Amino acid sequence: MSWNLFVWFALGAVICWALGAFFAWKEQKAKVYLFTFLGLAIFFAFILGMWISLERPPLRTMGETRLWYSFFLPLAGIIVYSRWRYKWILSFSTVLSLVFICVNLFKPGIHSKSLMPALQSPWFAPHVIVYMFSYALLGAATLMAVYLLFFRKRKTTEVELDLTDNLVYVGLAFLTFGMLMGALWAKEAWGHYWAWDPKETWAAITWLCYLLYMHFRRINPKEWRKACWILLLAFVCLQICWWGINYLPSAQGLSIHTYNVK
Amino acid sequence: MWVKPWKLAEGFLIGGGLLAVGLALQLSMGPVRWSLFATPVNWMMLALLLGALVLMFLLRKRVYAFEWMMHGQAAVASLAWALGITLVMGLLPQTRQGGVPWLSQMLSFWPFVLIWTWMMVISGLATFNHLLRFKLSEIPFLLNHLGVFVAIVTATLGSADVQKLQMTVSYENPEWRALSDDDAVVEPGLAIELHQFTIDYYEDMTPKRFASDISVYTEDGKNLRGTVEVNKPLNVNGWKIYQYGYDNTMGSKSPYSVFMLVKDPWLPAVYTGIFLMLAGALCLMLFMAPKPVKKEEKV
Repeated sequence: MSWNLFVWFALGAVICWALGAFFAWKEQKAKVYLFTFLGLAIFFAFILGMWISLERPPLRTMGETRLWYSFFLPLAGIIVYSRWRYKWILSFSTVLSLVFICVNLFKPGIHSKSLMPALQSPWFAPHVIVYMFSYALLGAATLMAVYLLFFRKRKTTEVELDLTDNLVYVGLAFLTFGMLMGALWAKEAWGHYWAWDPKETWAAITWLCYLLYMHFRRINPKEWRKACWILLLAFVCLQICWWGINYLPSAQGLSIHTYNVK
Repeated sequence: MWVKPWKLAEGFLIGGGLLAVGLALQLSMGPVRWSLFATPVNWMMLALLLGALVLMFLLRKRVYAFEWMMHGQAAVASLAWALGITLVMGLLPQTRQGGVPWLSQMLSFWPFVLIWTWMMVISGLATFNHLLRFKLSEIPFLLNHLGVFVAIVTATLGSADVQKLQMTVSYENPEWRALSDDDAVVEPGLAIELHQFTIDYYEDMTPKRFASDISVYTEDGKNLRGTVEVNKPLNVNGWKIYQYGYDNTMGSKSPYSVFMLVKDPWLPAVYTGIFLMLAGALCLMLFMAPKPVKKEEKV
């Protein structure tokens, strides 16, 4: 599989997802599932092809992690749709996924076959995949918060808040898996499970922020506006943890979580 | 303010109080000296902490502050404070020395330590509280709160007992001495003999694999041969032996291989906490998230 083929796979997948989103508006459930899963299959075929041709999981560079993110967004979308029947969720997830696909088209960031020894571990794939899935769910929760805070005209219903909570609960569970798998891996690779490396510090910050949201929601269910603001802050922290850290003065040259350097 | 039941505002003030106490401690005693916590002090601290938790729990009806700490508002306040102070840590470069006074050595900054301790006390008390009125449905809550308590408390208290050494071993010259972080010569009770150090390369000559074929001899008479690779340490007598370095100028012809030796006696306790947390996260996803179906019926 060559990176040059990405545009075609992406096009096919996005068309399918867009059709799925369209049929969600038309309330034709069977077609929603058919097209969404077809799109996911096409996109995953590309990931799998890259995996085989690179002879390593495509998870090392930012561009490669964006690939997974583009895949997990519609997956999270269809899971939410299957449980809540939100007509708009698939349109949202498709557009968001498209954004990440475009970033990858213009700035691929997929490199050679080489995978530095530090990344050659059975923990590598689950650690990053679980994190990307978590990011997708928490991204969807952020969209809900933005929608509830700024766009919702009618009174916010309990169902909408439940959906947001649900996305955060499942997202936070995966965030915890990702973090703890990272800790177990770090013990094998670097000698200690937690070293307060800048990436780890920001992972802790992000984790605390979502914990804060969850506790706050349970204790003060009526103050959902404040809770939504916590979600927005949490998502900013998540972005800093994911890629913002590369631009953060405090983390320059200190993080051992750096794998893009050629 | 301070009218029962206390709400978030009181919680934020208590956090502010801890900040003030922490600053006073920092000014009077200097930074937290974690090295003083080495065994047996950490065991005493653990007993003290658990004793304090039991006492607070027993006195909950008499001292309202203890009662309050078992509930959600306290959890929210402590999480918010922990988040805030950890954010400062994330935004400022963390260095051994220099940088921003106090804040660049956040891990030994008293307010940071006190606020995280406060959060752990609240998590511990919440565990007690839910343990007392145990039901099957409390298991997810217990796994999460007990897990985080065990993991963070034992990781922190055990940190002073972690031994991290560096050992440079030349060919056919068994080595039993190692260097500690502060460059002291230490004998870890085992010797390493290097048979072969290899580097494999990809086609583009980036390194693919660093490996050392070694024999390890221990004081108690063990003798074993194995390969140490990045991501594949060797376990001997409580030590983990890691591939750490080589002579960079010589590449695969390096005349020596450098190993890192790590011993962490508290690791089993920390891992217990981590596995409780993993189980807790699974429960969070499966049982704690709001059920959509029921609510659908309501609307």
